[in-house]
Amino acid sequence: MRVLVAVKRVVDYNVKVRVKADGTGVDLANVKMSMNPFDEIACEEAVRLKEAGVATEVVAVSCGVTACQETLRSAMALGADRGILVESEAELQPLAVAKLLQAVVNKEAPQLVLLGKQAIDDDSNQVGQMLASLMGWPQATFASKVVIAGDKASVTREIDGGLETLELKLPAVVTSDLRLNEPRYAALPSIMKAKKKPLAVIKPSDLGVDVSPRLSTLKVAEPPKRSAGVRVPDVKQLVDKLRNEAKVLP
Amino acid sequence: MTVLVIAEHDGALLKSATLNTISAAAKLGGDIHVLVAGAGCGAAAAAAAQVAGVAKVLLADAAHYQDQGAENLAALVLAQAGAYTHLLLPATSFGKNIAPRVAAKLDVAQISDIVSVEAADTFVRPIYAGNALATVKSSDGVKVITVRSTAFEAAGQGGSAPVEAIAAGPDLGLSRLVGRELTKSARPELAAAKIVVSGGRGMGSAENYSKFLDPIADKLNAALGASRAAVDAGYAPNDYQVGQTGKIVAPQLYLAIGISGAIQHLAGMKDAKVIVAINKDPDAPIFQVADYGLIGDLFQLVPQLTAELG
Amino acid sequence: MSDYIAPLQDIRFALNELAGLARIAELPGCEEATPEMVDAILDEAAKISAGVLAPINKSGDAEGCKLEPGFHVRTPAGCKEAYRQFIEGGWNGLNFPQEFGGQGLPKLVATPVMEMAMAANLGLSLCSLLTGGAIEALLRYGTDAQKQTYLPNMIAGTWSGTMNLTEPQAGSDLSLIRSRAQPEGEHHRIYGQKIFITHGEHDMVDNIIHLVLARTPDAPEGVKGISLFVVPKFLVNADGSLGRRNDVRCVSLEHKLGIHTSPTAVLAYGDEEGAIGYLVGAENRGLEYMFVMMNEARFAVGLQGVAIADRAYQHAVAYAKERIQGKDLANPAGKSVSIIHHPDIRRMLMSMRALTESTRAVAYVTGAAIDRAHGEPDPAAREAARAFADFMIPIHKGWATEAGVEVANLGIQVHGGMGFVEETGAAQYLRDARITTIYEGTTGIQANDLIGRKTAREGGKTAKAIIAQMQGLLEQLAAAPGGDMQAIRSALAEAVAAFESCVDWIVANFRSDTLAVHAGAVPFLKLAGIVCGGWQMARAALIAQQQLAAGGADAAFCSAKIATTRFYADTFLAQAAGLRHTVMCTGAGAMALTEQQF
Ligand SMILES: Cc1cc2nc3c(=O)[nH]c(=O)nc-3n(C[C@H](O)[C@H](O)[C@H](O)COP(=O)(O)OP(=O)(O)OC[C@H]3O[C@@H](n4cnc5c(N)ncnc54)[C@H](O)[C@@H]3O)c2cc1C
Ligand SMILES: Cc1cc2nc3c(=O)[nH]c(=O)nc-3n(C[C@H](O)[C@H](O)[C@H](O)COP(=O)(O)OP(=O)(O)OC[C@H]3O[C@@H](n4cnc5c(N)ncnc54)[C@H](O)[C@@H]3O)c2cc1C
Repeated sequence: MRVLVAVKRVVDYNVKVRVKADGTGVDLANVKMSMNPFDEIACEEAVRLKEAGVATEVVAVSCGVTACQETLRSAMALGADRGILVESEAELQPLAVAKLLQAVVNKEAPQLVLLGKQAIDDDSNQVGQMLASLMGWPQATFASKVVIAGDKASVTREIDGGLETLELKLPAVVTSDLRLNEPRYAALPSIMKAKKKPLAVIKPSDLGVDVSPRLSTLKVAEPPKRSAGVRVPDVKQLVDKLRNEAKVLP
Repeated sequence: MTVLVIAEHDGALLKSATLNTISAAAKLGGDIHVLVAGAGCGAAAAAAAQVAGVAKVLLADAAHYQDQGAENLAALVLAQAGAYTHLLLPATSFGKNIAPRVAAKLDVAQISDIVSVEAADTFVRPIYAGNALATVKSSDGVKVITVRSTAFEAAGQGGSAPVEAIAAGPDLGLSRLVGRELTKSARPELAAAKIVVSGGRGMGSAENYSKFLDPIADKLNAALGASRAAVDAGYAPNDYQVGQTGKIVAPQLYLAIGISGAIQHLAGMKDAKVIVAINKDPDAPIFQVADYGLIGDLFQLVPQLTAELG
Repeated sequence: MSDYIAPLQDIRFALNELAGLARIAELPGCEEATPEMVDAILDEAAKISAGVLAPINKSGDAEGCKLEPGFHVRTPAGCKEAYRQFIEGGWNGLNFPQEFGGQGLPKLVATPVMEMAMAANLGLSLCSLLTGGAIEALLRYGTDAQKQTYLPNMIAGTWSGTMNLTEPQAGSDLSLIRSRAQPEGEHHRIYGQKIFITHGEHDMVDNIIHLVLARTPDAPEGVKGISLFVVPKFLVNADGSLGRRNDVRCVSLEHKLGIHTSPTAVLAYGDEEGAIGYLVGAENRGLEYMFVMMNEARFAVGLQGVAIADRAYQHAVAYAKERIQGKDLANPAGKSVSIIHHPDIRRMLMSMRALTESTRAVAYVTGAAIDRAHGEPDPAAREAARAFADFMIPIHKGWATEAGVEVANLGIQVHGGMGFVEETGAAQYLRDARITTIYEGTTGIQANDLIGRKTAREGGKTAKAIIAQMQGLLEQLAAAPGGDMQAIRSALAEAVAAFESCVDWIVANFRSDTLAVHAGAVPFLKLAGIVCGGWQMARAALIAQQQLAAGGADAAFCSAKIATTRFYADTFLAQAAGLRHTVMCTGAGAMALTEQQF
């Protein structure tokens, strides 16, 4: 069984992004970029499926600028067998990415597509669901456990009230939540081997996909800042302030 | 312009996020219809009919909607979509699961997690864990939107909309619910609670988490929350997680106890009206957003606070 | 408090712009070190250093190592797991031959990886450092059978290595070594006591391979009678499995000022039947081998100075941004501000930053020279690189470790009283840094090497070749626009002149006035460090200026590089003239008193 993993290059989660003064976006110049943490989890899960003998091949796909090759190399260093970059300088919105992935899925015919539940840059939480929809496949979002048995996947999902377990008919789309696994550190030999694994670069036009954006960003602003309040010396004064100053307690 | 709100409910009652979503719909102007899909969910439809501002309730009652699976529900919404300019869902695990499926089939963008309606086609939504707010404009004919519940008031009562039964779609049979393990709690729902008591890794253990936080949450009639580190360590169930990738809360009062205040956590609670932090590290970043900070050992301060609340 | 974040941007700058990674990647056998590959390696090394090694730095320091019954040493909680994760990632074998399971990458790529691991956790990183030394020794001088027996596991890190030189009566002066090696068939029996043996016994590995200096029965006195032996803790069977325990045990652990995560052992050899050891290389040539090896070890210890300086600097910056105290001089009526507003704090932080960046630059340039000394295809180029590396190693070792201590010391000062208490962690850096100027040859020993073998013995040839390069740079600086560049140029010109006159003076007086020359040795080493650091910083500033002019570069980084170099020029290069005086004149006073007058 082939597993496809989608990986996105995003601002590293440790970076505190700053909104550009002209309000056109956030300042990404010379900012550290990494693989989206949820995608890393998805990739780790795919590799574990391979190590467990369930998957036979793990293919990592990224859509975006040339530098996404680094992200694909990271995925291959984690254990993906090969990479596909759908290269585009244009802004790719979730719908466009889902269509690109659909085209790749049609070519590669995986039984399972693993993605992160959301990317930590635009926080959209859409691509996996959109891809499943376009393919007419079942989906399990926010997965915290994935078990494959025959042509079925049993997936435990983190939902608002707790957990639920779904049984999906393969092929299917699964998006990872944080607790699905803890990704490994890539080993040095794997990083070096990753360099030699095949990485194909294709263009959206090769796939016949129109990637024009549907949403235009009019402005990006800094959220209202919360400023630090006061330190209270003890519990008595805290309760007094909550009652009489903030009036949030009766 | 007509707006369809897809209701999240438990068969009998609407989930509170549905009410916030209806308020967001009201900001758009135009008629508001509410779709209630489920199995034996007439009561929920009746409840929707009484919400102020709702013009019509569509009821799709069929066994295969019992589990609220994304595949069948998305197909049902799609069948109705033609009549609407906007489809709105709450930005909950329910809404997030369905909205993109619908949008993709309509070949339109989906707009996630809006916190404000600027115009019928223009919305504000947080990006980068809430470190920036983007104003986005959609060029699509239909807008498929999920709504951040904490950014909109809950719609009130007083409506009397007609309930119209609609034909159910087919059962696609793509997935099957095997089981649910829901956290049982008599406390208010986290995302909608007026007061939230959250514990972090500083709690040290699951035993401490409940030993120290249950009493104070009981006294305040508060919901319990947690940081990711606390959830990962098994101190609290995963649906307690507050933050960028957990629940977004905006209560009147948020107590952060033994939580350092990582940006991913702040993303989930910085819209609280009043934040109180209890932490032994005076340099913990949580103090930079807290209205009231109490420095010290939580194992002493929390029992004192519980006692003081009388 | 602040966690370690690898300074990848400065590391990459030093690697690519100053050390010339591109050239190293052209050397035979180094082809894998392409820029993208090195980028990926650095990213992951940064992650594992920050995520696995750094988190137990403080707890390991507090807990320390314990000697338990059965001569067993327990390392602090989490060390074994962290070490295992590090070696399972293959990091231990980065620059060792692929033939034995390593990755065969150049020294220059190992350099930043080591720096990050050391900065994250100096004590723990020592295990790999010493293992690396032992691997080098076996690679160069071991028999094929010895290599096959020990290297794969040592390179994998499942076995660690030690270097056993020091004995109670033999520290800086190894001619005094007394440990004995009695021949017995194919092997020797080793008897004696070794002290201060880093990671001499611990629980993180399956076997420990000791490299031991000892004398055979008829060996000549002094340095020419010392042989090198390999003594495994567990004897290795023919099939590679572990056999019985050898007659070597840890009889005590030192209680130390710092590096508490690293057990420093007293090892007793031959308390019972004699420890079985196998001769490495030829008899009586052990010390000579050690000296070849020592270059590498000294290079690595110098890097520890860079690493600890960086960690202390990061820590101090974070604190200075948070600690609110005093008014802003520019706005005395305003609220109290964070201490980073105060000029004296700025001066300290800039000193820390300038020393960190300059010692790093010198380290990486030296690392590249070590690769070129092995790999340049042209013999003349190879020889030039070797001479350069040999000259630079004592400077780098001595100066970077002294700078590491100075930076860690400033770090405490930035913290005020909070620096003196242990909670903030600032004190640990000073305690940990303090050993680096001592082991692998004290600063005094480095300075003796620098003035003697590296300068006087060759009539100042390499020093002069380096000075010529510095002068070439001065010409480029003269043509560079802007006041900063001119200020840098003039400070560097004066410092180079001071350095050159000291070289001449040492060459002229080394024999005739040897006491005076040796009294000035450490000041000369410091002068050499400051000048070489200034040279590399000035190169960096020039490149930064060119990158800024070309556009597209990180303007904040480039302008900071120029400003840091300017600060370095006014603060450190400015000391050169005074050091010249000290080098030439300190001897008179230093030797003035009789022993009784002390
Ligand atoms: C992609 C991604 C998504 C994430 N999403 C989320 C998210 O949704 N929500 C979230 O919370 N995190 C999230 N995180 C994790 C986040 O970065 C932090 O790791 C996490 O919030 C830390 O939790 P904490 O504050 O409980 O733990 P810590 O940072 O370890 O802080 C514990 C605090 O407890 C204090 N303390 C300890 N003992 C005591 C005592 N006896 N008395 C008083 N105080 C004490 C300490 O001083 C410290 O400040 C995410 C991370 C990533 C990478
Ligand atoms: C934590 C730690 C770990 C160590 N790890 C190892 C290890 O793994 N293996 C190992 O073999 N050894 C190890 N050592 C030993 C270390 O290498 C020696 O301590 C060091 O070489 C200095 O020797 P000494 O302590 O005997 O000092 P001494 O040689 O007694 O030196 C005392 C002082 O005299 C000065 N001095 C000595 N000779 C001269 C001279 N000719 N000219 C000018 N000044 C001189 C020195 O600079 C120093 O200031 C370790 C030591 C420590 C503390």
